[in-house]
Amino acid sequence: MKDQTQSQNGVAVTLSVNGRKHDIRIDPRTTLLDCLREHLHLTGSKKGCDHGQCGACTVHVNGRRVNSCLSFAATHEGDEITTLEGIGQPENLHPVQAAFVACDAYQCGYCTPGQIMSAVALLEEPCGAADAEVKEFMSGNICRCGAYPNIVAAIQKVREGRERPTT
Amino acid sequence: MPTTLEISKSSPIGRSTPRVDGRLKVSGAAQYASDFHFPGTLYAVPVEATIANGRLTKLETAAAEKMPGVHAIFQRVTIGKIARSVQAGFDGIIDEHRPPFEDDIIRYYGQYVGLAVADTFERAKAAADMVHATYEEETPNIESELTPDDDPAEVMTTFGPFKREQSRRGDAEKAFASAPVQLDQTYVTPVETHNPIELQGATAIWEGDKLTIYEASQAIFNMQGIMAQMFEIPRENVRIITKFLGSGFGSKLWPWTHCALAVAAARKLGKPVKLVISRKMMFQTVGHRPKTQQRVRLGATKEGKLVSLQHDYVYTKALLDDYHEDCGEATAFQYGVPNLLVRFGRAKRTFGSPTAMRGPGAVPGLYATESALNELAGQLRIDPVELRRMNEPKIDESLGIPFSSRHFIECLDLGAEKFGWSKRTPEVGSMKRDGLILGWGVAGCAWGAGRFPAEARVELRDDGTVRVACGTQDIGTGTYTILAQLAAEKAGVPLEKVEVALGDTRLPAGPISGGSLVTGSVIPAVFQAADHAINSLLGVATDTPGSPFEKRQAKELRFADGKVFIKAESRSDGVPFAELLQCAKLRQVAGEGKAEGTFGEEKPSVSKHSFGCHFVEVTWQPEIARLRVSRIVSAIDAGRILNPLAGRNQIEGAAVMGIGMALFEETNYDPRHGAPINSNLADYIMAVNADVPAIEVHFLDYPDPEINELGARGIGEIGLAGIAAAITDAVHHATGVRVRELPIKIEHLLASSVLG
Repeated sequence: MKDQTQSQNGVAVTLSVNGRKHDIRIDPRTTLLDCLREHLHLTGSKKGCDHGQCGACTVHVNGRRVNSCLSFAATHEGDEITTLEGIGQPENLHPVQAAFVACDAYQCGYCTPGQIMSAVALLEEPCGAADAEVKEFMSGNICRCGAYPNIVAAIQKVREGRERPTT
Repeated sequence: MPTTLEISKSSPIGRSTPRVDGRLKVSGAAQYASDFHFPGTLYAVPVEATIANGRLTKLETAAAEKMPGVHAIFQRVTIGKIARSVQAGFDGIIDEHRPPFEDDIIRYYGQYVGLAVADTFERAKAAADMVHATYEEETPNIESELTPDDDPAEVMTTFGPFKREQSRRGDAEKAFASAPVQLDQTYVTPVETHNPIELQGATAIWEGDKLTIYEASQAIFNMQGIMAQMFEIPRENVRIITKFLGSGFGSKLWPWTHCALAVAAARKLGKPVKLVISRKMMFQTVGHRPKTQQRVRLGATKEGKLVSLQHDYVYTKALLDDYHEDCGEATAFQYGVPNLLVRFGRAKRTFGSPTAMRGPGAVPGLYATESALNELAGQLRIDPVELRRMNEPKIDESLGIPFSSRHFIECLDLGAEKFGWSKRTPEVGSMKRDGLILGWGVAGCAWGAGRFPAEARVELRDDGTVRVACGTQDIGTGTYTILAQLAAEKAGVPLEKVEVALGDTRLPAGPISGGSLVTGSVIPAVFQAADHAINSLLGVATDTPGSPFEKRQAKELRFADGKVFIKAESRSDGVPFAELLQCAKLRQVAGEGKAEGTFGEEKPSVSKHSFGCHFVEVTWQPEIARLRVSRIVSAIDAGRILNPLAGRNQIEGAAVMGIGMALFEETNYDPRHGAPINSNLADYIMAVNADVPAIEVHFLDYPDPEINELGARGIGEIGLAGIAAAITDAVHHATGVRVRELPIKIEHLLASSVLG
């Protein structure tokens, strides 16, 4: 019986998360999600299915949204990983986070980290202006509480704010 | 007759209020049960039975025990004693009474037979997979046709004994037989799985004979009592913490077997143990809404007056346990009818125990009765709104008592107006827009109201802040914010000056988060606690040397807007409570409040319910058999709404779940081994963002004086009641196909002869 940190089977990897480097040795079976949550204690990213079906674990890898439960941590050497904690903090919210609060774009808040990571990524994706487009782009994130109308409203509020200066 | 409090325009009560815990939720700082870390924590992964019926004959653990990082593989003979708990009234409620590993009999697929514990999750999972179980397997019983078991006239349920002949008045059978118009149809709802996105799980920590559990619980005090009994320690030695809850919809109301396993393993190993179940296990071991099969018989005059209503329902139950799905909850009072009979039966299946799921009983029940009413309207060629209007009761005819506050017809009128119902043409397939066939449907809804017992504490502090504490939970309904609004109202401070504490059994005992009763329950307790704190403050104001009110008597003083002032003088001359406390060198004054419950009262003098209705539009493209819900308007009569922003969200979210109930959701069981086979979020289909149309919610906002000082009933569940009946009726209007077995599938709609 050996402790994880002394494991001979672990893989050495340097992870860059929210701009900070972490030198860790990790079981190669560890998903990026479990690594973030259980090893780095960044618990903003949530586990809802562990199968890439609910979207609660969504993070950004090199600026693109991915399901962190479908990716092994040890494969992310050299990648820039951003989690919800890196997007904004309680006293320093990102506009999308602030819009989620203003629009009540959640209920229990458990899927919210994934919703916000998808929404922040969506701002840079080729998503059309209509609500219907936003709904499609956000349909990889399940909200069992059903706050979908408010999630769309929050995202559109931010997009209108961003686009106004150029029009 | 009781009255409700006048609320000023500047009050936080009734104002749309962004959640006070919102910043934590959107930044990842809100800590859910599985987000806490403790040094030395071990990870546990259960071994699941792969049969649904039979006996475990052998569990081979040797290979798993030798794997790296493994601390133990537990099974029946090694886990240690886990006692059964006993229910006393509303305390100690549990739907699966058998503690984990109690015997070797397997009664449902996925029942836990072993537990692997290791230093990491990956190692525990690998070890659990390495455990080999041998069974004597018998055929599972997943029979879909529900024939009632041979039960006695009165059966035991989670909430005590229940007569299977639930309600009777007049002679329903005779009145039906002689009724000029008759309807006799059977409606079926499938097993539904709650699927909150937060997985259930517990981290158990023992310090001597003191136990702390971080668990996703909708009822922390209930769990505390059960864990104390199971592990034979005093109740006060058990602490349950649920700071944030990733919803539950009922599945987290009562403890499930994984929690006891985590506690037992932590006791054996002397280290914290974290056990978070998988999504697959969420379909197996933490309850579901049972399947229901409901025969509804209506008799009416040709003019549309109901003369007879019979509702006979059967639901699935587990082999051992007695959860009751009360489909007749609303049947006996919702409409005026002189002859009525409501009866139920149960059918045992080799499924895990069912449990309450959002709007238990009433949601499947109203799907059936409201569908029948819509069908009757079609048969009579009467508008379904008009049919409901014609059968509006003057009192609750099941109990012979008045309603506390019922504005059902006003809901229908308002909903119809906002929806544009008067433009409906009743013929199937007769309405079109943009090349699509439109279908419009309607249904009514109801949900019980009342209060659970509640205690609370309010502190006024010398820095001008206020703390309100109540050991209830916020399951996503906005309880943090409601508590802050109540404390802010009483203490006369802005919301940001209020600190809210909940989700911890060290706090005053709060209500369970069930039955849509939290808000109604906490109001009197918090108000009383605040009044007591204010009385103490007035005492401080008169008794403190150097206080501006030193020579006064408390009865001459008044507290408002956060200040103490002399009744006869202007409020602007008041002194803020912080100044008075500083003057007295006191950190705070505190008050405790306690209010009794009304839920389950023996002989109520008034009948307390919320009411509402849903109007639904669907679009149908016959060329490609494409059905979409395109518009929903809900009108809800739920008493005074304390936070319309979060309140609308509740009704919208319920409508979303209703779309799932009508069109998608169904747990399927494998006939070979009895497993729920679509036990993941890709195969158990729930509504996603693209499935959801514009949803309009209108609240009537009539305070109900029988509930509490503010007249607020609950809104968590009513939105899901009735909506499936409105959707199926809209589908019939568009396609001509009447689906009586949920969910509606394309296969059903291919029978449509409506052409585009």
